[in-house]
Amino acid sequence: MPPEPALELTGIGRRFGALHAVRGVTLRVAPGERRAVLGPNGAGKTTLFNLVCGDFPPTEGRIAFFGRDITGLPAHRRTRLGIGRTYQTSLLFNGLGVLDNLYLAVRGGRPGRFSFRRPGRGDPHLARARGLAERMRLTHLEERPVSDLSHGQRRQLEVGMALACDPKVLMLDEPAAGLSPGDRPELLALLRGLPRSLTLVLVEHDMDVALPASDIVTVMKDGAVAVEATPDRIGSDPTVQAIYLGKGH
Amino acid sequence: MSARLSLLAFAVLLAAPFLLGLAMPQAQAQFWTVNILGRALVYGIVALSLTFLATYGGFVSLAQMTVAGIAGYGVAILVEGAVPGIVGGLPYALAVPAGILAATLAGLLIGAIAVRTRDIYLLMITLALAMAVSRFAESNIDWFNGYEGIRNVVGPTLFGVPFRQPHLFYYASLAAAAALYAGVLYLVRTPFGLVLQAIRDNPRRAAALGYDVALHRIAAFGVAGFIAGCGGVLTTIYNIGISPGSIGLGASVNILIISVIGGLGHPVGAFVGSLIFAVFDTFAASLYDRDRFNTLIGLVFLGIVLVSPDGIVGLARRIPSLLRLPRRAQAARAAETG
Repeated sequence: MPPEPALELTGIGRRFGALHAVRGVTLRVAPGERRAVLGPNGAGKTTLFNLVCGDFPPTEGRIAFFGRDITGLPAHRRTRLGIGRTYQTSLLFNGLGVLDNLYLAVRGGRPGRFSFRRPGRGDPHLARARGLAERMRLTHLEERPVSDLSHGQRRQLEVGMALACDPKVLMLDEPAAGLSPGDRPELLALLRGLPRSLTLVLVEHDMDVALPASDIVTVMKDGAVAVEATPDRIGSDPTVQAIYLGKGH
Repeated sequence: MSARLSLLAFAVLLAAPFLLGLAMPQAQAQFWTVNILGRALVYGIVALSLTFLATYGGFVSLAQMTVAGIAGYGVAILVEGAVPGIVGGLPYALAVPAGILAATLAGLLIGAIAVRTRDIYLLMITLALAMAVSRFAESNIDWFNGYEGIRNVVGPTLFGVPFRQPHLFYYASLAAAAALYAGVLYLVRTPFGLVLQAIRDNPRRAAALGYDVALHRIAAFGVAGFIAGCGGVLTTIYNIGISPGSIGLGASVNILIISVIGGLGHPVGAFVGSLIFAVFDTFAASLYDRDRFNTLIGLVFLGIVLVSPDGIVGLARRIPSLLRLPRRAQAARAAETG
């Protein structure tokens, strides 16, 4: 028997009034897999992403997380089960420091959230926040306010905050969007350095980031899955070329 | 503000009554000790409660003087020696904690009422609550003695010295102000304070991380209520009583002015603003036409806010970079010619 998929979408669809943003999407993501979801603007990538994270429920179909039906669960329950996410526009706490942001993310998922006591030197949450800063290569910036960070550093911090609640699946929404060419290798190295116990799903617009970071690529068009293939074959696929280069229109 | 600068300011304030005594005649020194510095400290404590809310939570409340007044009225109603005696008979040792407790509860209540509002709506709802309380106090004779208010709240006798003895009043106010100031600086580094700042920056993300935004907001108003309550007890003793005018529209707006000219951005702004306010409010009448001294006060405050939208504290923070700029330009010129 094959291992239970980390994420299994069966016939997922979502309508916004007359707009059928996502239709009949069936996906199986194995534990530890790196999956990229590609597609042009308006293909339904972000809607699919939000359906998995629980921002709104699907209008049809079923979503399972390690075999458990999560179709009706609200977003914060999914976070607690182990679906972490990053946001396309960084939603960081700009007035606070890098370490404070990570500390808040670490503490948020755990009991004792409301406290008037200052964390001591040996505080386990603080130690974990420091560990995350190191993994995200942000140790040298720990005390700096987030408003001082570059776009790429903000993205690194965003990933660190998503990892703070020990997700089993990490959903990345266009991690490379708006990054300078110099910031991309850093982000790619960071994503590649994540342990295989973590399953990654990245929704991306940009092939140059998506292909080297993934095992299997799903290309969407008009709300449905058009192609599913390994990265080395995706570039030569005639359907993908038609979508991206506009041939056959 | 750095810890060293805070300690220096505290040392100056500790020595101030003696330095003033050396510099001017005794009566004048006493006036400065109590009516300028002492007044700046006690109203600064009330403004500190607003600065705490606005700087770390992003909540601008116009009800902080009202909350302070609830503590003041609480003490005035309960304490022995107040005129007229409403309940009376209680020593200050019981009446003061009761007043501060009432203010803390009032802060929590206001926080709960306003929990869903932000920005201008929060300002309006807190203003409405403030006006309701002051009108109620003005029209209620049985509990608040109406327009006249309650007089002769002179404070306890400590170590055989009456509280209103200038040095005792000054040092008690300084101790309270320093303790509350340090308390705020401690609190904002605790998980509660960090979550409060997270709510200020991004409430939806804070909720998504698992924090109870409403609970933290209400607790922040409770903390601000406690601070304002401490200030309210001291302002009531400073004024030897309390009346609806001391919690009316003018008084509420004055607290906002103090916080804004001092600078929302650091708790020290509350005291800096309060000192500037006390000086101008006291001397404007003798500097300028007696009938128009309010114009001078208004112009000075307008000038401060125009020059530095983040108040005097913000201006002080920018001074180093303003001084550095021309020096660097000079260095560049020297390198070119040399």
